[in-house]
Amino acid sequence: MSAATSPAKPTPSAKPAKPAMPARPGKTAAPAPGRATDADASAATDGRSLLTLLNRYRGLRKLLLLAVAAAVLVPLADARWGSGSWPGALTVGLDEPLGKVSDWIIDNRDSHWVFLYFFGHISNAIVTSVHAVYVVLLALGWAGVTAAATLLAWRVAGVKVAATTLASLAVCGLLDMWVPTMRTLALMAVAVAASVVLGALLGLAGGLSDRMFRVLRPVLDTMQALPAFAYLLPIVLVFGIGVAPAVLATVVYAAPPMARLTALGLRGTDKGVLEAVASLGATGRQRLLTARLPLARRELLLGVNQTIMMALSMAVIASVIGADGLGDRVYQALSTVDVGSALAAGVPIVLLAIVLDRTTAAAGERVGTETQGKGGQRWALVAVVTAAVAVLSRAMGALSWPDGWTVAIAAPVNDAKDWMVDHLYSGVPGIGGTADWAAHYTGWVLDPLRDGLQGLPWWGALLIVAALAWLIGTWRTALTAVLALGAIGVLGRWESSMDTLSQVLAAVAVTLVLGFAIAVGAARSRRTERVLRPVLDVFQTMPQFVYLIPVVALFGVGRAPAAAAAIVYALPAVVRITSQGLRQVNPGAMESARSLGATSGQQLRQVQFPLARPELLLAVNQAVVLVLSVVIIGGLVGGGALGYEVVFGLAQGDLATGLMAGVAIACLGLMLDRVTQPTKARAGKGA
Amino acid sequence: MSADGTQTMEAGSSTEAPPVFSVRNLWKVFGPKADRVPDGPLAELSPDDLRKEAGCTVAVRDVSFDVRQGEVFVVMGLSGSGKSTLVRCLTRLIEPTSGAIAIDGEDVVGMDRGRLRDLRRHRAAMVFQHFGLLPHRTVLDNVAYGLEIQGVGKAERRAKAMEMVEKVGLAGLEGRRPTQLSGGQQQRVGLARALAADPEVLLFDEPFSALDPMIRRDMQEEVVRLHEDEGRTMVFITHDLSEALRVGDRIALMRGGRIVQCGTPEEIVGSPADDYVREFVRDVPREQVITVRRAMRPATGGEAESGPALAPATTVADAIEAVARTGSPARVVDEGRCLGVVDHKSLLRVVAGLDRVERAAA
Repeated sequence: MSAATSPAKPTPSAKPAKPAMPARPGKTAAPAPGRATDADASAATDGRSLLTLLNRYRGLRKLLLLAVAAAVLVPLADARWGSGSWPGALTVGLDEPLGKVSDWIIDNRDSHWVFLYFFGHISNAIVTSVHAVYVVLLALGWAGVTAAATLLAWRVAGVKVAATTLASLAVCGLLDMWVPTMRTLALMAVAVAASVVLGALLGLAGGLSDRMFRVLRPVLDTMQALPAFAYLLPIVLVFGIGVAPAVLATVVYAAPPMARLTALGLRGTDKGVLEAVASLGATGRQRLLTARLPLARRELLLGVNQTIMMALSMAVIASVIGADGLGDRVYQALSTVDVGSALAAGVPIVLLAIVLDRTTAAAGERVGTETQGKGGQRWALVAVVTAAVAVLSRAMGALSWPDGWTVAIAAPVNDAKDWMVDHLYSGVPGIGGTADWAAHYTGWVLDPLRDGLQGLPWWGALLIVAALAWLIGTWRTALTAVLALGAIGVLGRWESSMDTLSQVLAAVAVTLVLGFAIAVGAARSRRTERVLRPVLDVFQTMPQFVYLIPVVALFGVGRAPAAAAAIVYALPAVVRITSQGLRQVNPGAMESARSLGATSGQQLRQVQFPLARPELLLAVNQAVVLVLSVVIIGGLVGGGALGYEVVFGLAQGDLATGLMAGVAIACLGLMLDRVTQPTKARAGKGA
Repeated sequence: MSADGTQTMEAGSSTEAPPVFSVRNLWKVFGPKADRVPDGPLAELSPDDLRKEAGCTVAVRDVSFDVRQGEVFVVMGLSGSGKSTLVRCLTRLIEPTSGAIAIDGEDVVGMDRGRLRDLRRHRAAMVFQHFGLLPHRTVLDNVAYGLEIQGVGKAERRAKAMEMVEKVGLAGLEGRRPTQLSGGQQQRVGLARALAADPEVLLFDEPFSALDPMIRRDMQEEVVRLHEDEGRTMVFITHDLSEALRVGDRIALMRGGRIVQCGTPEEIVGSPADDYVREFVRDVPREQVITVRRAMRPATGGEAESGPALAPATTVADAIEAVARTGSPARVVDEGRCLGVVDHKSLLRVVAGLDRVERAAA
């Protein structure tokens, strides 16, 4: 293999090896002219010295350099601070000053001018807008909202999505979740509007100015790699608990995809078109309005779609900092392990996600194919019918969802869950039970891994991270990763971070094994792919939060259910990216491999996997990022570690602890992202 | 070499209309500190050396030429010869590194933004290889686009655009979108868009390279017809020699950023300036380009009195037909005066390419 890939021209260091050729008479007895390069190449491999090896595998050179650095630094560090966990001498106790800052903010929130005249206004504006949207939704009544949403979906995405919308809203009502659904919608509407405006403005700046783009891009990339929980605490610190911080956290979380896609869309405009427009004498503004923005419409709508999905995901999670609505119902139910109630609130979230995703995605796909005219009339029809239905329902006094039309599913679901606890948790002949599996996973995988990571010398962890990041990326990514991990240690969150890390690593390993296996199956059989695609579509649209519901039902609470949720959440993205990568492999290369008689296993190992390497790396990166985000949320269902510290900090009003854990989460996310970051451009977040 | 071309051109331009475009010592260098390359010691380096020494790439190297009123001026060269860069420098879609460009005697390089925009809006419109159409607009709105950014009212610009759509033969398709059209049709839209502003000069950047050969031929004829109808000045970039010979009144042949030769198709084919040009035009069907003016020999005896009469601009191919039909030598007659005669032998020498061997020897 290496002989085939080595350059035909012998490298200088390979030349001394040439005399070795006659030593193998059998092969070179009658060297045909055509064979010459072949012989050279094999001679080169035979006589490869360390130098050639280093030249060929640049990674080895990096490792060697790192090893030299380690040989110097590690004994010093070891002698000075010792092995094992992060040394106390190197930590900076920020808890106390942070606690003081937090106390000061709480004391002065109602008096200091910064809060009165700046943050206070922001907060009030948000609360007022959310309330205004909620009032409008109430004024429309359930019939009006349903009519408006259905007609909107019909107009934008066609009959099928309209029917889905109608059915979904009906289910929300039937589950007695109409009011929380409207509250979530109101919160989301404000957050999405703000995110889209903010993201579009940032994206515009990044799209038009190269310098701005260079600054924005790494920031946006990093923000998209961070778990949602990392954003909560700083906002709570300033704004307290309530709707306003929830909306703000949602905006911060949901704006990056919009900004990113806007910038990329504007930058991706066909150069030929721009040149033609310039050649006709268009001014800069005309170029933007008549060419660049219209040509980027698809990206802009995709940005809106992603922003809406991220906003929904965050609006639900933000229930831990005071967002009311569906997320709050799930949160409350989960904290008492009331799976039935959690499911009743979780189903509307899933339906909302599906409806919003399908509608906005269809809008993006329809760009450029719509016929002219008639548009205005149809929109008018939508408005008129909505108004008519709203007025009618008001006249009939049926604004709120009728009490009799509800189905209480909480009790039967809980009964079913109790049955599962009795029959499936353990003692199933032959295969054990879900609780047994969870216990085994925790006992045999998570605990040894955690103990191993926590027992690993701290400088060893830093070295491993540096080596991995440097091998996959550049020295810059390595430096960022090492600094991020170092920051965790300095902040004194080493132990709990290693706990979180162990959960992430174990879940990522399972995700990748399952994901690659499924993806190989999907890439090989059209039928598997056809069956899989709608499933993946649904799973990828669901907010992280709802995955916690079924796993709690199946596995109880603890670290294992958190891992299960993380695996299920990350799996669709991994399967999708991998199977796409495998299927995009150049058919010519596949055909030639087949013509040489390669078995399907050989094709997979020698052609598909090597050629799909960028996608495989991307899949690993996405798996790590997505798993981390859910493992952190797993703190809500007994996952412990960093996620729990955030929740604990919020619940106890101990913001300093929570904030430090939040920073540690961000650092861990940054580190994991950098360690697995493929050097090429990265696709958007899976969700 | 280029001096040779410039001389013939300037000799001609003194007697005819003033040049539309006048380009003098134009340089375009890409790379860091590009402006130190022209007129410096680096200017003499070969492209490879320059890339190694300064990290710069020269696209246009000390080019001078005039485009006369009403002619089709073709710039021809292989890919990488700098021709596309050259035409973009004319309206400063690419800023030239140094040199002078004038349109109707007005300096282009010194124009401010507003005047430059004015130049692009009203005086020189361009047709692109990859069309550069706006995919979200209909054919009609694409054609009207140039007028729209000039601020022309909706009704007026649509009427004008409709007229152009009909002129390029797309009537009935004005409501389609560019993606619903074939390549040839899309380029007709590009042509109509350029014509809509009624520019003084049309610039074509390899307009038909992306089209099928059959469609390409149609479009070339369209351009020739358009030129005959309106007499609009055109600058036409191509890498296709037969296209250059078909549409061009004069051809500038570029290589490595320089103009190697500039002249009429007959001059290029009949007397190539160097081996590169000779190699380039080797496969041209010479009898369709060379005229009898070049093929004739002095009349001897009574030849000046009898035989079919031909105009000096008749191609050898046409002369062969006349000579073959009568069986006798044909006279080349200009305003009643006999300039010389062509017979079987002299015509066959052109077809066989023997005349150029003699010229090269001489």
